[in-house]
Amino acid sequence: MNIFSSLVQKQAVDEILKCNDYTFRFGLALSYQNAIELIEMRTMSLKRYGRVEFGGGVINKIIKEFCDSPYISKHNYVETLHELIDIFYFYKNETLDLMSDDELIKFMKNSFDGKCQGSLELLSGRELDKMARNLRYGYEPDYSEDNEWEEEDEDGEY
Amino acid sequence: MANIEKRHVIDRNKLSGEFYFNSILQEVYTCGLLGESDLENIHMQCISLLAYKSERYNMGESSSIKVETAENIMKSIFYTIGLYLKSLPDPDHAVVELKSGKISEIYETGRELIYNRFREAESNYKMVRRNKIETLNHSYNLTLSRSGIGLFFKSYNIEYEAHDIPASIDYQLCHPVNDLAGIEYIQKYLENLYLENEFCMNFETENIHHLLYGYDKGYPDLLINIFEQVLTAALGCSLANCNIRELNISQEDIQYLHDKLLKYDKYTLMLNLLKAAEDIFKELNITNRSLKKYIEKSLPKIAENIEIALKLNTLNKVFITPKNPDLEPKIQFQSGVKMDDEEYRRLIEELLQCRYSSDKLAIIKEKVKSFDDLEDLLIDAQLNEEEFISLFNTLGDIEIAAMIKRHPFESDFQALNISEAEQVLRLYLKNYVKKLPNNRQENIFRIAEQLL
Repeated sequence: MNIFSSLVQKQAVDEILKCNDYTFRFGLALSYQNAIELIEMRTMSLKRYGRVEFGGGVINKIIKEFCDSPYISKHNYVETLHELIDIFYFYKNETLDLMSDDELIKFMKNSFDGKCQGSLELLSGRELDKMARNLRYGYEPDYSEDNEWEEEDEDGEY
Repeated sequence: MANIEKRHVIDRNKLSGEFYFNSILQEVYTCGLLGESDLENIHMQCISLLAYKSERYNMGESSSIKVETAENIMKSIFYTIGLYLKSLPDPDHAVVELKSGKISEIYETGRELIYNRFREAESNYKMVRRNKIETLNHSYNLTLSRSGIGLFFKSYNIEYEAHDIPASIDYQLCHPVNDLAGIEYIQKYLENLYLENEFCMNFETENIHHLLYGYDKGYPDLLINIFEQVLTAALGCSLANCNIRELNISQEDIQYLHDKLLKYDKYTLMLNLLKAAEDIFKELNITNRSLKKYIEKSLPKIAENIEIALKLNTLNKVFITPKNPDLEPKIQFQSGVKMDDEEYRRLIEELLQCRYSSDKLAIIKEKVKSFDDLEDLLIDAQLNEEEFISLFNTLGDIEIAAMIKRHPFESDFQALNISEAEQVLRLYLKNYVKKLPNNRQENIFRIAEQLL
């Protein structure tokens, strides 16, 4: 089992390091040690939120989606990735698995670059929280009561 | 020589019916038939299969899954593999299969097997519904309905929850199904229920109804097994030389049975029950071997009940004397004509303003001429307990019984959705009845039962 685990880990590290080819153009790169730490972070988050992962590849997807963000530089790249991985798995549970990996990562990126302006606290505590609540109550992810009021205003009914 | 049996390395009795795959792996490892590397190989194959199933579960959209969901899928995989291994002639064949076969292939064969069994169970369910007996027992009717076992055929998930039993099954069988899960449980349950129904079909619906009513008036709400009651009564009839089809055992028959059975030891009692069962088979023309076996399997349980009853002198609780509810005496209580609403309102106002209890009682005696008015007044006039007692004292047993019938205080469950005034009335009535002499209490309750 240990040989198997180490093989899997090596494969995962290689995949993460391959992302450097893509992120290099944005001035971002991860070291071998960074990659191992990211994998450890993923393992910890999975354990903390009671999930298991068979395939992998979520870290690569997050890296590739977020690397062109104007709010990420080489100074905060690794910490931001750590936070994003933890937030991702937390909201997989909170959204009751109703959202696919790609959709969730896309939503996180749009909110991070848009309304949150690079704030991970706002992303996790406000935007994703609101989105998860919407999904649980059967609304669209970006549903907002304010929008409804605005629409009604436009109709001139109120 | 007929009993020669092939010796197996693995003892079949040590294997669990519900967790067959796990238990066979454990046994195989203990017996040394599979080494650690073989087990590890099986383990890895199971994990790969779990990964594949999880991906399909997520429809390829999510790489991770909740631990509980993964555990459930794994249980389903183990169950499916176990079901196939169980279908092999013996556990030794299962070991060969585990050594040579691929887990994913074994799983696929198991899945097909479950699918076929599901189809079989569906037709079994239809058969059971066709030979369903007419009874008032709710648990029986609900279990057989579309929202009972019927739910299973809508909700059973062969792919991810094959080990689960998504059905509402409350009816207790004479031989409960133990140590089985998923489709196997449903099949066995339906098989047993079919046999029980087939036996009960030999008797008139009315006779079964009277028998169960004799067992308990509230039998529609009880979690009882109808087959066991009917079989016991039939055995009793056979032993007492009565008509088996009638299921009618009188008090004298029970006394006769008591005297007869008391002389038997355990072995003779069992022999006599077997003989009585043979009589039943002849009388009812039962030829179905499975049904015969099922009935014979029930005899030890009934013999034990009889033995205990003989010791406690309660044979009338085992052999039930049927009761026809239509023949029970009934009392129709008619209240007088109610007073006019306006007049009633004036009376209540007067009573509410009246200061002295004696005056209140005098007013009630003078003006209230109907039982319905008195009943309304007890709720509306805000009387205290002493006044209640004084009023109750003026009533006869039938009136008190009618009051109990209309305001039952025995069940706390029903008392949840009633008004405060009604609760007060029930409480005072209960306190009053409790203080009455025992013979009067008995008389009142008897009348209350007979009231329509």
